[in-house]
Amino acid sequence: MWRFLFIRITQSFVTILVAVCLIFLSIRFLPGNPVLVRFGQHPVPAKIEAEMAKQGWDKPMIVQLGKFLKELAQGDLGDSFERPGERITDQLKERVPATIELTFCALLLAIPLGILTGVAAAFWHTRWPDYAAMTLALIGVSVPVFFLGFLLMNIFSNMPTGQRLPAWIVLDFKTDFYLFESILTGNFSMAGLALKHICLPALALSTIPAAMISRITRSSMLEVLSADYLRTARAKGATFFRVVWGHALPNAAIPITNILGYQIGMLLTGAVLTETIFSWPGMGSYLFAAIEQRDYAIVQGGALMIATMFVFSNLLLDLCYLWLDPRLRVEEIS
Amino acid sequence: MRYYFQLRKQLNMQIRILTLCCLGAMLFTLGCGSPPAPTNTLIYGRGGDADGLDPTHTDIGESVKVIVNIFDKLVDYDEETLDLVPSLALSWETSDDGLVWTFDLREGVKFHDGTPFNAEAVAFTINRIIQPDHPHAYDNVIPFYPNYEGIESVTPIDEHTVQFKLKHPSATFISNMAMFPASIVSPTAVKIHKEHFARNPVGTGPFKFEHWKTDQQLVLAANDNHWRGRPTVDRVIFIPVKESAVRVKQLERGEIHIADNLPPSEVDELAKLPTIKIQETEGMNVGYMTMNMDKPPLDNLLVREAIWHAIDRDRLIDVAYSGHATKAVSMVPPTMWAHHSGLADREFDPEKSKQLLAEAERNAGVKLPIKLQLFVMAQPRPYMQRPRQTVVFIKDSLERVGFDIEIVTNDIRQHFFRMTQGEHQLGLAGWSADIPDPDNFLYTLLDLDNINDDGGNNLSRYRNEEMHDWLIAAKSELDVEKRKQLYLKAQESIFRDAPVLPLVHTKVRIAQRKELSGYKLHPSSMVRLRHSKITP
Repeated sequence: MWRFLFIRITQSFVTILVAVCLIFLSIRFLPGNPVLVRFGQHPVPAKIEAEMAKQGWDKPMIVQLGKFLKELAQGDLGDSFERPGERITDQLKERVPATIELTFCALLLAIPLGILTGVAAAFWHTRWPDYAAMTLALIGVSVPVFFLGFLLMNIFSNMPTGQRLPAWIVLDFKTDFYLFESILTGNFSMAGLALKHICLPALALSTIPAAMISRITRSSMLEVLSADYLRTARAKGATFFRVVWGHALPNAAIPITNILGYQIGMLLTGAVLTETIFSWPGMGSYLFAAIEQRDYAIVQGGALMIATMFVFSNLLLDLCYLWLDPRLRVEEIS
Repeated sequence: MRYYFQLRKQLNMQIRILTLCCLGAMLFTLGCGSPPAPTNTLIYGRGGDADGLDPTHTDIGESVKVIVNIFDKLVDYDEETLDLVPSLALSWETSDDGLVWTFDLREGVKFHDGTPFNAEAVAFTINRIIQPDHPHAYDNVIPFYPNYEGIESVTPIDEHTVQFKLKHPSATFISNMAMFPASIVSPTAVKIHKEHFARNPVGTGPFKFEHWKTDQQLVLAANDNHWRGRPTVDRVIFIPVKESAVRVKQLERGEIHIADNLPPSEVDELAKLPTIKIQETEGMNVGYMTMNMDKPPLDNLLVREAIWHAIDRDRLIDVAYSGHATKAVSMVPPTMWAHHSGLADREFDPEKSKQLLAEAERNAGVKLPIKLQLFVMAQPRPYMQRPRQTVVFIKDSLERVGFDIEIVTNDIRQHFFRMTQGEHQLGLAGWSADIPDPDNFLYTLLDLDNINDDGGNNLSRYRNEEMHDWLIAAKSELDVEKRKQLYLKAQESIFRDAPVLPLVHTKVRIAQRKELSGYKLHPSSMVRLRHSKITP
């Protein structure tokens, strides 16, 4: 068990390091130069040279990479190129909580919804609940988020159209987890506001994961439901709850956890479209803008953050497998 | 079968319980009492966020909107017109040769951090722009350096008198002093915050900077001690909302008081609502198509004329601006002095276009159809409100007369960067005036000084030695009538040689809630909010 953990964690760090180096190099091969871009329609050649030297871009790529890794080891991600004076670590401190809260709420909707519809579809296989659930799932994966966002805004016209809190609230929180922090500190009126603001974006974001989970749940439940041990359980008069939730679902859970882990990873990297429509200040829009503007520093920092989150969510998932499937534990131990 | 019935019964029960729980949770959330919204806070919704709030180091419009409310300049525009009026300077005088300007400064003014405003602060501010290695300029990007490079030195004469020496007489010097980069900054704050001054700005203006969370909110508070008197609103909050359709919704619902940079058709829709007021003013801008004269066959006048005749700009205004624009013939907008109103336009005439191309084919060996790349920006600009529609319209018009157009779309900064490098053949471009002076259009956009590979704004790479002499002469000529004659001649040359096709001059329009009063859209497009008032 511990050996397994140790190996996985070491692997994770190597993965992150390789990913960051690859990002570092690949963004520099994109056409376009961030310094010249910043000077925009007001270029001054001497100043451009000075800026290139200041950023160290007149040096060979390998030297730049070395400098970057050294600073990284010291925990310094530097300043944004595009927005002078903006520390990237400060920005990540604001962006990551926004993304985590949104992901959390989206999953809070997606997981129960996906599993319930999936189970229902499997249970009433080829009956109307099956068709209804699968139609919903198809719509869920295929409706463009842009369209869905505006649709939701129009349907729930008394709900806020975006942002994490109403614009007139001056944000003086200790952390950037507005929702979690206000619940924990017992400021329920603020939590209510935050919850109201997160509802529509979370709903828009939850459709794709919910649909995926639903489909996977259905297919793996179908396999399990016809198994002999379930017939035995039924024959012994087990209740529905015991049959489905006690026996069938845990056995069908591995593929579901698998797709869930992937979805969490995807959601944590930020949802550009949802964030754009609902003006949600998360990782997706931050990175998207940085790539557009060739803000290497942010792209590197953001990539590092995302790689870390992705790798660790996968690590957690591996642990979940161990918990869910005793056979894996035995194999690992032996 | 009975087993399944039983199961379903149980399931129904569970579903009911679950539904009840969900409903309960929803009611709890919505039932929570929310803190009351403050009544005297102005909320300004816009398309993007600022990049930094140090006046020396930015040229981004969204930053400027905030900067003009935090800082004051020595001179400023009148409330409604483009006339210059005293601000932090009470008066000023020029020496006979136009080389020395002496400003008499307002006394008793303090920066938001308590630092007294004086001649030292003025010298510090300007020196940060003009001195090559100023110890307190922390960023190499000084976008408006060219506007101030004609200043040789700034000397404090006493506490409240400051003297500027110029390298040569300049007709645009005083206009430049009214522009935002010349906003006077607190030397103390710059020295404390260093490169992070861009996120902790301190000026003397009507509003104090309070806090800023990128892409969430930027908060300014009324400056109780402003020398013009305290602004009426307590706070101004700028929020970035990328999608214009969302800004429209927020305005309709009263979540924001002002929405700017909206597509014209959305503004027309909003105008029908009883709670919304639309403000508009003639913009000092031009949207145009550049034709890179370094790339054959665009070096051929016949081809450029053919392009001009092929495009119906009146229709374009309907298609891409919902009718809210004026057809351009000269690059200088009609709101500006020295606009040439006597140029006879090359009318829309596709047949003429075809003839010109045929002639070019016969005489200059141009091969038809002419394959050209047309560059376009991905994001709208005040002068190019629907770049996509505009570019498709132009492509369609040109392909009808014998061109073969390939559209190349880029992010706005990349777009201008690639065009200043001369990578394009045709390209959509535009300019909003930095200062109300024709020099800012003609010299900046079409003079041969502004062609270079580090990026220059003469995107058409138009080289006209004779016009260059006129434009240089006009720069240092202080007699307005003589300058005007020079600029009229320059506009005639440009029209004759057609290095660019001027498309439109647009109106600047904003939509606001009716409960907001006192805010007037200024012809310079500066967003000055100090007179805003909210009546609930």
